[in-house]
Amino acid sequence: MKVPIKLLVNGEPHQLEVAPNETLVELLRERLHLTGTKEGCGVGDCGTCIVLLEGIPVNSCLVLAVDANGRHVATIEGLGDERKLHPLQESYLEKGAVQCGFCTPGMIMSGKALLDQNPAAGEDEIRRALSGVLCRCGAYKKIVEAVKAAGEKMQGAR
Amino acid sequence: MNRIRPFAYFEAGTVAEAVGLLAREGSGAYALAGGTDLLAQMKMGTLTPRVLINLKRIAGLNGIGREPGKGLRIGSLVSISGIEHSPLVRESHRVLAEAAGGLGSPSIRNLGTLGGNIGRASPASDMAPSLIVLRARMLVEGLQGKREVETDGFWKGPGATVLAAGELITAFLVPDMGPGSGAAYMRLGRREGMDCTLAGVAVCLTLSESGSGLKDARVALAAVAATPMRAKRVEEVLLSGSLTEERMKEAARAAAADSCPVSDIRASDTYRKALVEVLTYRGLAKALRLAKGATS
Amino acid sequence: MKTLYVGKSVPRLDGMEKVTGRAVYCVDVELPGMLYAAVLRSPHAHARILGIDTSQAKAAPGVKVVVTGKDVPYTFGEMIKDQPFLAMDRVRYVGEPVAAVAAESELEALEALRKIQVEYEEMPAVFDPREALRDGAPILHPDLAEYVRSSIYDIVPGTNVCMIRRYSLGNVEEGFREADEIFDDEFYIHAVAHTPMETHAAVAQYAPLENAFTVWSSTDGPHRRAKELAGSLGVSLNQVRFISTYSGGGFGGKGSMVAEVLAVALAKFSRGRPVKLVYSREEELTASQTRHAAFLRLKTGMKRDGTFTARQADIIWDKGAYASKGIDVAYRGMLTIVGPYRIPHVDLLSRLAYTNKQCGGAYRGFGTIQVTWACESQMDIIAHKLGIDPLEIRLKNAYVDGDRYINGQVLTTVGLKETLREAGREIGWGKPKPKPDGTKVRGTGIASVIKPTATPTDSYCYIKLSQDGSVVLFSGTPEIGAGQKTVLAQIAADTIGVPLSSIAVPNVDTAVAPFDSGTTSSRATFHMGNAVRLAGEKVRREILTIAAEILNTEPDRLSLSEGIITGDGAGEGKTLVSVLAKKFPRGGTILGEGHYSPEGSPLLAAMPGRERLSSIFWMFATHAIEIEVDTETGIVRVLKVAAAHDVGRAINPVLCEQQIEGSVIMGLSNALFEEFRTAKGRILNATLADYKLATMMDLPEIVPLMIETYHQEGPFGAKGVGEPAAAPTAPAIANAIFDAIGVRIKDLPITPEKILAALHEKR
Repeated sequence: MKVPIKLLVNGEPHQLEVAPNETLVELLRERLHLTGTKEGCGVGDCGTCIVLLEGIPVNSCLVLAVDANGRHVATIEGLGDERKLHPLQESYLEKGAVQCGFCTPGMIMSGKALLDQNPAAGEDEIRRALSGVLCRCGAYKKIVEAVKAAGEKMQGAR
Repeated sequence: MNRIRPFAYFEAGTVAEAVGLLAREGSGAYALAGGTDLLAQMKMGTLTPRVLINLKRIAGLNGIGREPGKGLRIGSLVSISGIEHSPLVRESHRVLAEAAGGLGSPSIRNLGTLGGNIGRASPASDMAPSLIVLRARMLVEGLQGKREVETDGFWKGPGATVLAAGELITAFLVPDMGPGSGAAYMRLGRREGMDCTLAGVAVCLTLSESGSGLKDARVALAAVAATPMRAKRVEEVLLSGSLTEERMKEAARAAAADSCPVSDIRASDTYRKALVEVLTYRGLAKALRLAKGATS
Repeated sequence: MKTLYVGKSVPRLDGMEKVTGRAVYCVDVELPGMLYAAVLRSPHAHARILGIDTSQAKAAPGVKVVVTGKDVPYTFGEMIKDQPFLAMDRVRYVGEPVAAVAAESELEALEALRKIQVEYEEMPAVFDPREALRDGAPILHPDLAEYVRSSIYDIVPGTNVCMIRRYSLGNVEEGFREADEIFDDEFYIHAVAHTPMETHAAVAQYAPLENAFTVWSSTDGPHRRAKELAGSLGVSLNQVRFISTYSGGGFGGKGSMVAEVLAVALAKFSRGRPVKLVYSREEELTASQTRHAAFLRLKTGMKRDGTFTARQADIIWDKGAYASKGIDVAYRGMLTIVGPYRIPHVDLLSRLAYTNKQCGGAYRGFGTIQVTWACESQMDIIAHKLGIDPLEIRLKNAYVDGDRYINGQVLTTVGLKETLREAGREIGWGKPKPKPDGTKVRGTGIASVIKPTATPTDSYCYIKLSQDGSVVLFSGTPEIGAGQKTVLAQIAADTIGVPLSSIAVPNVDTAVAPFDSGTTSSRATFHMGNAVRLAGEKVRREILTIAAEILNTEPDRLSLSEGIITGDGAGEGKTLVSVLAKKFPRGGTILGEGHYSPEGSPLLAAMPGRERLSSIFWMFATHAIEIEVDTETGIVRVLKVAAAHDVGRAINPVLCEQQIEGSVIMGLSNALFEEFRTAKGRILNATLADYKLATMMDLPEIVPLMIETYHQEGPFGAKGVGEPAAAPTAPAIANAIFDAIGVRIKDLPITPEKILAALHEKR
């Protein structure tokens, strides 16, 4: 059975026919070849699959593709590139918050959702917002510093 | 990585349609709300539904409203984070927001729904104890029509509720706490964030207008019995006289004694009982502070 | 030599790719015609395979290949080839691969697994390594003596002894006679999973005409894997090509072939179509590799003044079903159970026992975590018994420059005491303890570590300079997340004299890059850094020779920095590009080759016959940790970690901090949260919900402190930093707990249950 869906991914419209048992992370990675979003566990325990669904962070491994119909999905690829980086991406580089980088997309998208709501978020709030993304490299300390610095940049820009 | 096996898929436009579909499809048909539990189980292979009926297109189930003089009405499809951040909930039933805030991780809270959490009937549900102590009721709709069900007594065992086949929770009615009331939910896991609860204790106390005793006391526990459980004996202890330090400790011991946790891969039964005692005492202390007018 | 890049925290070369989501990890690889794999695994810990029927699976929708052990009768293993690609006559652990399927989609491959029938005959299994060593235990490898072994070490055929090794210095009995106090303690350290965020994965492609394999993998040692695979398959090295992708974490777990052999097995029969295998998280936790669990008995003789007279150690390591790198882990680990202390008489015994479990492999620290747990826990037991401050007793016995290691090697650049003092200072050692806050009690603990690097190993590299001044560094050192590419580029830039931005460091391709022993053992900066330095110097000399010709002068009268040549005849300065354009009008290449191995270095001199124990550099670190115990719940919260590390020279300080901060979290997580819950060899908590890693919420205050001792043979004085910090965390926490509540936990993990039980016992 195929279900036709329309969705926006990073602002670009897509029209697809998906199987009901297809997940959003599979759609992004395998149909749209946007492999920036990762799948570290498949069951919502690690956060590496986090994307923003209508601006809200969700584990895309637990969202059926059909439930993305008519919605807007934001992934790491839409955030910025070498021509213009998002303040979070800049701060991650400046603060040394990237090690192996596998959790980076999930962390950055979670950070974006937080800072979009509250760029002045303090350390406790930052930790809570990112508490659902596991980093085995243990880069947590510099990740918090990076999010804080990005928030300051975003406040400055307003 | 894990893949979901194929299933027949339906989207319900109304509650009646969902109820009808569930009845028609019979066994092997499941209602899909937030999916954080259902889809995870399907990926792990512990559940293989033949049919999924998606409830999320049904309008009118994801709002939070106040009925003045009565209490809150929370739609069953309201997300856990919706409860966590709702100014209405934080204003009148803060304990629900706090319980919601301790569940899973932020992104999971954005997906999971209150109806899904309660309907899933996990003995460790973080939302259940608070709803019990607040005397919340559920609006339920099935083939036989609509009815109201108390949360206290809703669960029959792990994964089992009093709902008939094809019945769906549509809303939660949470009556206002009386004046002089305070409620708290204390939980602990193994680590600070993103963890399942090893023991959870919800307490709601109402001070009596006179003296140092209580007019009302409700206590409920999570993760230490086959279902979320109301701790009636603890309530009796609390209501038996003035609420001294000694009485609070006695109540805490009673809670531990009445709980019947199992030993599993997450914790031993003795440790869970120890936590129940500690969390009950701490919950009572906090609820008492709040009842007396403190803000936290 | 003045450096423009070395010593600075330049941004990572791979950073842009990673923050924009464009970095390709093995799990992201997509190739035309690619098939997807799934693996059928044993449900039994120990069983004979009576028969496998794959006929229905072969006919299943989308299926192209189904293989069993019979199709690929090869074994592998760097030290001993005891591990089959797929189980042959028997299975030895729950989760062992028994059959594999390649299909047009992953779902179809998974569905096909259900159609494979396997008949097993269960056999008795053994799960405790001590039991495995007893007479009558079920034997996992009855044909042990027949396996191909690549080096001489002791096995005991007909038993479960994978390895037995003994090392002695002096006379321990005499040492014990001289002691005023003898301490005899037993410790246990549990197995933990590497748990990289990127699970094990591999893509393999077979070219039938050439009988050649290409494997995409995030392994940490592509050349060594290629060598191993070629050896197993009986082909030449030019028939096996490993292409490194970015790695989503290794920590040693990608230091052996795991998914690779299965992908290769399928690719052999897929008529040239690439086959991709991605481990599920459950497979990652149950069927990849672990850190070896160990039972450690330490008998130590001390004088009343707190100095050592003797140490006797008896370690039983839990090997799991296959050897992998365990033989070296057990040997190297044993040798550092003496700690970084002067001990005149030493007798060490190490036994590695096969058990019916997922096998142990290299895990950050390579045996040091286990032995440091025992050594540094006992150090505090000793300190408290003798009435000596735990920091003082360590300072008293700590190695200094000129001391000899237990094989006679003279130790140099020993920054240990500085790490002890710095960590102690930062944590406020000796300050009055705060009063308990309700049920919460604080405590402080300290622990040190000594770690060698595998010696000798080899690093070769090529540096290619093109006529436009751009440089490519071909090294076999994969980027596994610690910034290997960046550090090597920094060294190259300063050595050659070109801007950092002109240097590209592609991912490793063994078809192009010369041999390297891989990113392991904290060796990359030192060994490949030296090879890069040597190659860079050659390139630099050639540039200056060419420039001297053009400018009609002598090379030693010219300098090169940031791509500008200055000196005699160069006027205001000539750009490198202009010089190269003159020399190579149609195009051209300058190629520098560098090779570094510490073999033959005078620094390795030791007592005759014992040189193998020497290390070209030794790493030292100390952690001082403040914790808080809730005496009602038993929950331990780590408040602050002062982590002082002797890094030799910080080529890139931020990258060093990343390693220190990161491995503190790993050590904390290992000690407090991680544990396998098993029943009959089956792991029951095979999800990240129930196998718990530290989250952002568990982050303590971490203060990384770097001590620079300038190693005489290290590139710009650097040593290594990747591994040591994972070791002292657990014993420092245990020591802090003792300081707080007088409870000594001797077996890991430290759980609230153990704390509460110990507190109850105390009352």
